[in-house]
Amino acid sequence: MDFWREIFMALSRNKLRTFLTGFAISWGIFILIVLLAAGNGIMNGIGEEFSDQSKNTYMIYGGETSKPYKGHGTNRSIWFNDKDIRFLETEVKEVDQVSPCIYQSGFANFGDKSGSIFVQGVRPVFKDINNTKMLEGRFISELDEKSSEKFIVIDDNLRKKLFDDEVSPLGQFVIVSGIAYKVIGICESEGRSDGGNGYVPFSTLKKITRKNWYWMLHFTVKGLETKEENEAFTEYLRTQLAHLHEFDPDDTSAVYIGSRQEGYLQTMKIFRTFELFIWIIGFAMLISGIVGVSNIMRITVKERTNEIGIRKALGAKSRSILASIVTESLIITTIFGYIGMWLGMVAAEVGGNVLSKVQEGKEISLNIVPSIDIRIVLMATALLIVCGVLAGFFPARNAVKIKPIEAMNYR
Amino acid sequence: MIRLEKINKTYFGAQPLHVLKGIDLQVNEGEMVSIMGASGSGKSTMLNILGILDNYDSGNYYLNGKLVKDLSENEAADVRNRTIGFIFQSFNLIPFKTAMENVALPLYYQNVNRKKRNQIAMEYLERFGLKEWADHYPNELSGGQKQRVSMARALVTQPKVILADEPTGALDSKTSAEVMQILREVHETGITMVIVTHERGIALRTDKIIHLKDGIIENIEINNPDSIDFSKEIK
Ligand SMILES: Nc1ncnc2c1ncn2[C@@H]1O[C@H](COP(=O)(O)OP(=O)(O)OP(=O)(O)O)[C@@H](O)[C@H]1O
Ligand SMILES: [Mg+2]
Repeated sequence: MDFWREIFMALSRNKLRTFLTGFAISWGIFILIVLLAAGNGIMNGIGEEFSDQSKNTYMIYGGETSKPYKGHGTNRSIWFNDKDIRFLETEVKEVDQVSPCIYQSGFANFGDKSGSIFVQGVRPVFKDINNTKMLEGRFISELDEKSSEKFIVIDDNLRKKLFDDEVSPLGQFVIVSGIAYKVIGICESEGRSDGGNGYVPFSTLKKITRKNWYWMLHFTVKGLETKEENEAFTEYLRTQLAHLHEFDPDDTSAVYIGSRQEGYLQTMKIFRTFELFIWIIGFAMLISGIVGVSNIMRITVKERTNEIGIRKALGAKSRSILASIVTESLIITTIFGYIGMWLGMVAAEVGGNVLSKVQEGKEISLNIVPSIDIRIVLMATALLIVCGVLAGFFPARNAVKIKPIEAMNYR
Repeated sequence: MIRLEKINKTYFGAQPLHVLKGIDLQVNEGEMVSIMGASGSGKSTMLNILGILDNYDSGNYYLNGKLVKDLSENEAADVRNRTIGFIFQSFNLIPFKTAMENVALPLYYQNVNRKKRNQIAMEYLERFGLKEWADHYPNELSGGQKQRVSMARALVTQPKVILADEPTGALDSKTSAEVMQILREVHETGITMVIVTHERGIALRTDKIIHLKDGIIENIEINNPDSIDFSKEIK
């Protein structure tokens, strides 16, 4: 109790010293966090810019065999089925999510309007793989897929054909080949053709068409970070499919395996470079913060050498002096460290809001929205606090070690 | 009370400096002695050794019958805390503590509780006429007041020995006389006292003057301080 009183008194009676030390620590942490947030913001901006290439995606189409194999002749068409999906999902560890594709073409009707439509039954991940851009509403969800909802996402071409400008298609029902689908979203049209496109849950279209063979499979992969890895993976996939469908593994026309790896690998490279850059900056900031905090701690302890000498002359034990100095610096660094941390986070948050307001609706090449990783923030804060305390501890220990008369006469 | 046997002390700076060259000295309990000598003759060095603020190279130092040699940090702290009171030329008060807190500090290191501490500190301040100044910080006090605070601090633990290094060095002659008056009164209560001084007027008010020259005791002068009118100014 008395110990804490002494500490509190020493801190409050030396307001300027306490404040300066605390300020150094708050400032160090504040700057560190703001810079980390800005760095993250730039990363996020880049990430968004390259979002269509931030996933490594593969697609496989069935073709026709060109070599005879195990009693099969040539020109045999290869189609995929549920076995292939299961194989990809469960046995190939690199595969993340699969979206098989069923299609149906026909006409879509709304009231007295109609237009041709190419409907694809897909899973939610298709949106990322195909990089579908939503204009209104939403894409198909996991839930829609699970419960085989009769929902449809139509593209802009079809919307123009079926709906007047003043009518919102969302929530309306369109009829495709005799089935009524509720419109849940509108996406950008792809390509130059003016034919309409529609996307419905894979499970829904599978039930309706009763098809169990598929012309094309899309899937995302993880962990293939180099060209070599991707080539080996393609090779492996071809052999496995050859085994499943009984065709010659060297027959490249039986299945076509394509990927977006090039764009992906390039994006990753840019990403990595920036990440490294930001880490280096962050690290430099951290080091300069530590140096700053350590210096001020060292100076304050030096300043107290006379006091330490006097206390020793009056009969203070080294341990007791050391304990109070370390406790004092611990209290200062912790309190002001947290203040700096919160101020930094508030600044990052406010900065983020302001920036996103400014950028809203504008065609800006890079959207920078600062964000913070709370774990890194906590770790950096803790590190600065620990370093601050250690920086106080060692000179204090030295000051306590020297003879009392030397400490008292210290200038 | 204090016995020095062949004390040697060398400062190992850029050039080794043999400051104390075999000091033999005896100060009896209740005695009040002064040390005089030219600047650099080793007065402060000797006093610091007596106060265990510094160590010595060879010889023996007995304080209160106990050999003070190679004490551990904690033992030395205890001896300083319980047996010795210090008075310095530059007062050495802690600037961010009030007069009362400064006086109470040695008791803090004896684990006396705060209320008791402050009560005892207050008694000593009162004794030195500083009651009204108890809540003032050192920079709000005059030199004489500061020295009285530091005397109160030196006495608050009821030490056996008071060591004073030029206690009047920073004071004018009138204040010096006051301080000496107080020290004399303290001495009357039976406390042993060693005072380093430059001023003969001060030294004459002690029982013995030890003349130090080039690290050895040149001679010891016996005084009769009771024949001196203490109310008179010193210089
Ligand atoms: N820490 C030290 N390191 C090296 N030399 C020192 C140290 N302290 C004192 N000295 C030297 O030792 C000698 C004696 O010093 P001391 O302080 O004991 O003298 P003094 O008699 O008290 O002098 P003064 O009357 O000026 O106070 C001086 O020459 C001084 O320069
Ligand atoms: Mg001296």
